[in-house]
Amino acid sequence: MLKNLKTAGLAALFVGSAVGAAHADKLQDVLDRGYLIAGSGSTNAPWHFKDENNELVGFDIDMLRLIAKGLFDDPTKVEFVNQSGDARIPNLATDKVDVTCQFMTVTPGRAQQVEFTIPYYREGVGLMLLDGGDYADYEALKAGGSDVTVSVLQNVYAEDMVHAALPEANVDQYESVDLMYQALNSGRADAAATDQSSLSWFMAQNPDRYKDAGFGWNPQSYSCAVKPGDQRWLNFVNSVLHEAMTGVDFNTYAASYQQWFGSELSPPQIGFPVEFK
Amino acid sequence: MEILQTLEAIWLARTAILDGLWNTIQISFLSILLGTILGIIVGLILTYGNRAARFAIRIYSDFLRGTPVFVLILACFYILSVVGLDLTAFQAGVFALTLFCSSHVGEIVRGALQAIPKGQTEAAKSIGLTFSKTFFSVLLPQALRQILPTWVNTATEIVKASTLLSIIGVVELLLAVQQIISRTYLSLELYFFAGFVFFIINFAIEKAGRYVERKVAIPT
Repeated sequence: MLKNLKTAGLAALFVGSAVGAAHADKLQDVLDRGYLIAGSGSTNAPWHFKDENNELVGFDIDMLRLIAKGLFDDPTKVEFVNQSGDARIPNLATDKVDVTCQFMTVTPGRAQQVEFTIPYYREGVGLMLLDGGDYADYEALKAGGSDVTVSVLQNVYAEDMVHAALPEANVDQYESVDLMYQALNSGRADAAATDQSSLSWFMAQNPDRYKDAGFGWNPQSYSCAVKPGDQRWLNFVNSVLHEAMTGVDFNTYAASYQQWFGSELSPPQIGFPVEFK
Repeated sequence: MEILQTLEAIWLARTAILDGLWNTIQISFLSILLGTILGIIVGLILTYGNRAARFAIRIYSDFLRGTPVFVLILACFYILSVVGLDLTAFQAGVFALTLFCSSHVGEIVRGALQAIPKGQTEAAKSIGLTFSKTFFSVLLPQALRQILPTWVNTATEIVKASTLLSIIGVVELLLAVQQIISRTYLSLELYFFAGFVFFIINFAIEKAGRYVERKVAIPT
């Protein structure tokens, strides 16, 4: 909530500037410049983070590289601007970045300040279990009622969030992700509830130790965002993302998805376009 | 073991940590240096300036001291770029911390100068010293003894405030450590490590301050 307020305040502060410096043709500007200036973070695996070689990697980073590939036929022609979550909207408004892909949840409020692309991932809350533990899946957890303890990141809404899926479960809140997973490992908790993407990544990192309970809730869409008022640029980024999920760049998207979320995507059905089914 | 795992994570990321540390040191050093120079000017004007100058600098100082550093950093990064002055995140951050530091040093200097009895300035005048001679030979050496302890305090505050530059994307020590945490999940261990390194930096500043304090102390 505090974070939202801060972001909203910041954004409000810079809305004035957004109107003043309306750019005519961002696509042409970027092509002329010869590289993309892309906004993302560096502290959230598997979205945007530094690997052992101190290289920026992640699913968001792959999306931005796809845009660069679309522009210059070269995914390396990107200059990454490291930004905190709070800086996402102001950096677009003040033209410090061409596009931001930083696990940005689409909300109507934000959509008044930036223009969102089509979503490239649907986030939600999931439940992770120990493989071979007391509870086999979501149904078992639900049947367990108040015997079940769920570890979760400390948050004002944590209790309600868990109870939306498991109304009777006990909720133990932890200060950090490692402690939350630790609780599951040590048996203090029967399941860990957090973002599906974090769970998928953690399970991909530690194969055969954990399993997904198979239930997700609290959906939210992750989209890239651009500065409002440049339809051609928005269309371009949309085309790149759309074709990554359904067209010529599907293999790149699927490889990235497999790398960061550990599961294989089946190719879109050939024939009638999937999006109109 | 957790400790071994932490040490290994730190060792693996040593270049990233050293880069972050170097950024923290650069930011702190530049901001404290420039902020102190600017702050001395602010303090002099607040003490000896004419009415109009005093009033203008009073507003400057009160405004900066009354604003969170966080807001100052955002303002320097975003509002200046709207005006057309496109500073890099590093420059904008150092600029913000310099302004913040100058307002604090300004008040420290003013307090120290005003604490010196008027009679000393009058005595200096009566033996024919110019203002600059009075300032450097009579007032400053005495003021320095007052200034040093609080100046050290301000300097350590600036070192700690440098972590706020991460919000505009400057990879200083804390953000560098956060980047390792996001990969390794060793949050408590690595935050403790970051805290320890900041403590070392500030401890060094404090020791240096003590040393100078001893040098300028009145021999007993």
